[in-house]
Amino acid sequence: MSKGDKILDVRSMHMKFHSKGVTVHAVNDVSFSVNEGETIGIVGESGCGKTTLGRCIVRAYQPTSGSVTYVASDGNELDFLNIDKETMKKYRKEIQMIFQDPYSSLDPRMTVLDIIKEPLKANFPKMPKAEMEKRVMDIAAKVGLNTTYLKRYPHAFSGGQRQRIGIARALVLNPRIIVCDEAVSALDVSIQAQVINLLHDLQQEFGLTYLFISHDLSVVEYISDKVGVMYLGRMVEYAPTKELFQHPMHPYTESLLSAVPVADPAIQIERIPLEGEIPNPANPPSGCHFHTRCRYCQQRCKEEVPELKDMNGHLVACHRAEELQLRGFNYDEMNH
Amino acid sequence: MFKKKTMQDESYYLAGQWQLMWRKLKKHKLAKLSLAVLAILYITALFADFFAPYGLEQFSALYKNTAPTKVYWQDEEGKLSRPYVYKLKKENKMEKVDGKISMQTIITEDTSEKYYIAFFVEGIEYKVLGIKSNIHLYGLVNEAGEVDQKARINIFGADSTGMDIFSRILFGGRVSLTIPFVSAAISFVLGILLGGISGYFGGMVDNVIQRIIEVLSAIPSIPLWMALSAAIPPGIPVASMYLYITIILSFIGWTGLARVVRGKFISLRKEDYVMAAKLAGVSDFKIIVKHLVPGFLSYLIVNLTLGIPGSILGETSMSYLGLGMKAPATSWGVLLKETENLESVAQCPWKLIPLAFVVITVLAFNFLGDGLRDAADPYK
Amino acid sequence: MENYTMHPDNIIEVRDLKVNIKIDEGTLTAVRGVNFEIKKGETLGLVGESGCGKSLTSKAILDINTKNCETTGSIHFRTTEGEEIDIVNMPVPPKRNGKPRVKAIQKMRTKVLKPIRGKQISMIFQEPMVAFSPMYTIGNQIMEAALLHITKDKEEARRLSIDVMTKVGIANAEKRFDQYPHEFSGGMLQRALISMALVCNPQLLIADEPTTALDVTIQAQILELMKELQKDFGMSILFITHDLGTVAKMCDRVAVMYLGRIVESAPAMEIYKNPQHPYTQGLIGSVHKIGTKSQERLFSIEGTVPLALNLPAGCGFYERCHKRIEGVCNVYDPALVDVGNDHKIACFACTGCPNAVNKEGKADE
Repeated sequence: MSKGDKILDVRSMHMKFHSKGVTVHAVNDVSFSVNEGETIGIVGESGCGKTTLGRCIVRAYQPTSGSVTYVASDGNELDFLNIDKETMKKYRKEIQMIFQDPYSSLDPRMTVLDIIKEPLKANFPKMPKAEMEKRVMDIAAKVGLNTTYLKRYPHAFSGGQRQRIGIARALVLNPRIIVCDEAVSALDVSIQAQVINLLHDLQQEFGLTYLFISHDLSVVEYISDKVGVMYLGRMVEYAPTKELFQHPMHPYTESLLSAVPVADPAIQIERIPLEGEIPNPANPPSGCHFHTRCRYCQQRCKEEVPELKDMNGHLVACHRAEELQLRGFNYDEMNH
Repeated sequence: MFKKKTMQDESYYLAGQWQLMWRKLKKHKLAKLSLAVLAILYITALFADFFAPYGLEQFSALYKNTAPTKVYWQDEEGKLSRPYVYKLKKENKMEKVDGKISMQTIITEDTSEKYYIAFFVEGIEYKVLGIKSNIHLYGLVNEAGEVDQKARINIFGADSTGMDIFSRILFGGRVSLTIPFVSAAISFVLGILLGGISGYFGGMVDNVIQRIIEVLSAIPSIPLWMALSAAIPPGIPVASMYLYITIILSFIGWTGLARVVRGKFISLRKEDYVMAAKLAGVSDFKIIVKHLVPGFLSYLIVNLTLGIPGSILGETSMSYLGLGMKAPATSWGVLLKETENLESVAQCPWKLIPLAFVVITVLAFNFLGDGLRDAADPYK
Repeated sequence: MENYTMHPDNIIEVRDLKVNIKIDEGTLTAVRGVNFEIKKGETLGLVGESGCGKSLTSKAILDINTKNCETTGSIHFRTTEGEEIDIVNMPVPPKRNGKPRVKAIQKMRTKVLKPIRGKQISMIFQEPMVAFSPMYTIGNQIMEAALLHITKDKEEARRLSIDVMTKVGIANAEKRFDQYPHEFSGGMLQRALISMALVCNPQLLIADEPTTALDVTIQAQILELMKELQKDFGMSILFITHDLGTVAKMCDRVAVMYLGRIVESAPAMEIYKNPQHPYTQGLIGSVHKIGTKSQERLFSIEGTVPLALNLPAGCGFYERCHKRIEGVCNVYDPALVDVGNDHKIACFACTGCPNAVNKEGKADE
């Protein structure tokens, strides 16, 4: 296996939640593939299903239908949704997750050492204690934790350091894919930069593949190689980062990009307003989910669901993708 | 790594949940005081044989319904003396009322002989924690320095059988203070088990258990007690009686606890760290034992502490109503049964002293529970 | 109390504001001498990371800090009637028997502040979901302020509220007025919250992270709305946030706070183009700007914010600063110095060492 080969392939994944007679189609026919060593950004507004998508991939939820094909380090292709428990246990550790809230993601009743050690204990029950601790020490040092503090409880650490603990816990099993669910959103700006740099360094060192789920488009633009945009459970656009930010092809992406606050008062981007509000996810509009708020909407958009079409490596789900000329970021202007 | 400046020392960072809880509890003055009061109450109950001057079989008809024994500090000349008491004597007095002669018995102090209060005196033999002894904390000796059982010292007065109320309170504490604990322990197990099952499995099982809880908590408690205690065959030994009451109390107590456990279980199951453990491949059983149970144990302890006063009052009121312990057994409820009628309270107000013990105990548990509740979640 | 006169352009002047919080472990100096002023119709952005004291500062203006907070310094506010009042130091009623009358002082404060709080100074909170009570209709809660300050007539208050709701872009305000908070989306709820703050036509609006909890597209809407409303109503805004992006969009002037102090303040354009204080530089450097991707890593300030308890002498940023001058920065506390163009910096490395140190190597006091 070498860098750049396909490592994960998600095909027509659906995830439905039923509660009190209401069905929410949180993930609706999402397909995309990921190459090893890449960072994929998944963006969208709250309720778009990006968190559910991430959790389906790490198998915290069992998707309603679809397939998640994972190409394991030994070259085996596994459909994660249809494998037996034993195989699952063997490969599950290769896909790990970093959580948003550095407070609720660490058990306050365990020492940091125990927290990082727990995955090792569960997967390698026969590993000698000394080796386990050595591995914990190594990984803790890697993520920038002071190893003399590992006997402390999480309450002794600040938000940024807790996030490092969470990263260490995810890394200790030598995973190949890490799903980062809003991994830096809860952190202060200066700490955010520290953690982003750390994630970047770890990727360089271990050849990790990231699925970076975030609502912060600036961060996603910085860290990702490719970006997927989700709206009401569907992936509406999936393209290389630069391409997507400069030449968005879906009207929703266009609006989203125009709303990003840029930390430079000299740049005032005219916002392309979205009409109305996000529809109720339990009762999404017909046809293209976005048609109720789209300023390019035509009759066809109300009736037919647009497919995710490949346009020279730029995937977009819009009937009018070919004809529309949409506005993105002008990188030259940004660099002025 | 950078140096961090904070006010707390390394021990704070190394402190686990229980240590942090203890630290916070220590700051709660009322809770600390309550803890001390409860410790005293439990120690005196456990060593009641030692602290009480008299055993439960030592009653005296002469001392029936007598007021707390008067203790003298001064001798006849008004000089300070070693504290002493007089024994009581019975005098028959003829009196002419409305032309009829009636005989009246008057109990007065017999001032002919002094009995001094002494500490660590010999008395009735007892066995506690496997140690056989006949030493009591205090008692009376006569002028010659010998133990004399003719005189009695009843610091809280005597009851209708002539028994020392103070001694009975201490012995009664054994029952009144432990029943709640035993019943709490049973409730604890039932609550965690049924609440845990309810919260973990959810669905149908959850539904059934929740309905049972609703039905149980809808039954008014006093009629339920009456029904259940009617089921206890009469004439059974006191020891079994004790057990039955405990079980009755705990069958009512578990429902609230089960609800708390279930709620905590459900909310903790959604915590990110539980999901993280799951993703790391930790088994369900380990997740429950290592993450979920420690997560709500502190809440349970608070809940229990706040629930114990209810059980104490429950035992007291059951015994008072005659549904629980009955004389000759001794519990605080049984002692209070003597205050059933107003006349008895008016004539012998000291019989209300056991009530003060009930109140103090209940308050102490409540304050302690309050303190524990504040300390329960040291991470928030 | 000495006489203090405000600058005629300013609506509020905060001088040497300190807030101490009493906690179990001691006294936490959360705000350590903050100075700023806001002109009429101006938006000042107060920027800083969590724990820098920006929220406490704003709450001190409304006098709504919790009881364990002790506020000193002064906050002069120009009321609608043109009066200048000091929110921190109220005139103290005469002592009785030589003892200060705590209750009387409290009463006096309430009497003076009641017509100001909510009417002339109002506030928008971060979490619109929490700011509304689920038990009452939105309209009821918006109307409350109007009934308290403007009119006793319910019909008129209702009309006023619906007017404001329409102005903040709540469509169908008549109908929305009688709905409950749960029937509103997050963005709409934030609009309702803004209309609640605006119903009394305040002089000063304090917005404490008003868009942090919202999605990007809604955030942009709300920010634009606030800008428009500012033009219409002519109010001043104190905009508190940690997000440098929204500050760039919203503010005329920016004050950067670190550890209870303002370390740099300047017009918005100036602070982004020419940040001077190492902390400001770090803060701006650590935010990625779209389209400027390079192979370089993001700039990051090392370390974390220390706890404001038993702070050592010197500049609060000393430990994390890459420009620190040993023997100066960890000995003396830098004051905010005007370097021209309304640009103020509290940093010895930027503005030069204290004179005393330059001459003799030690302070003269």
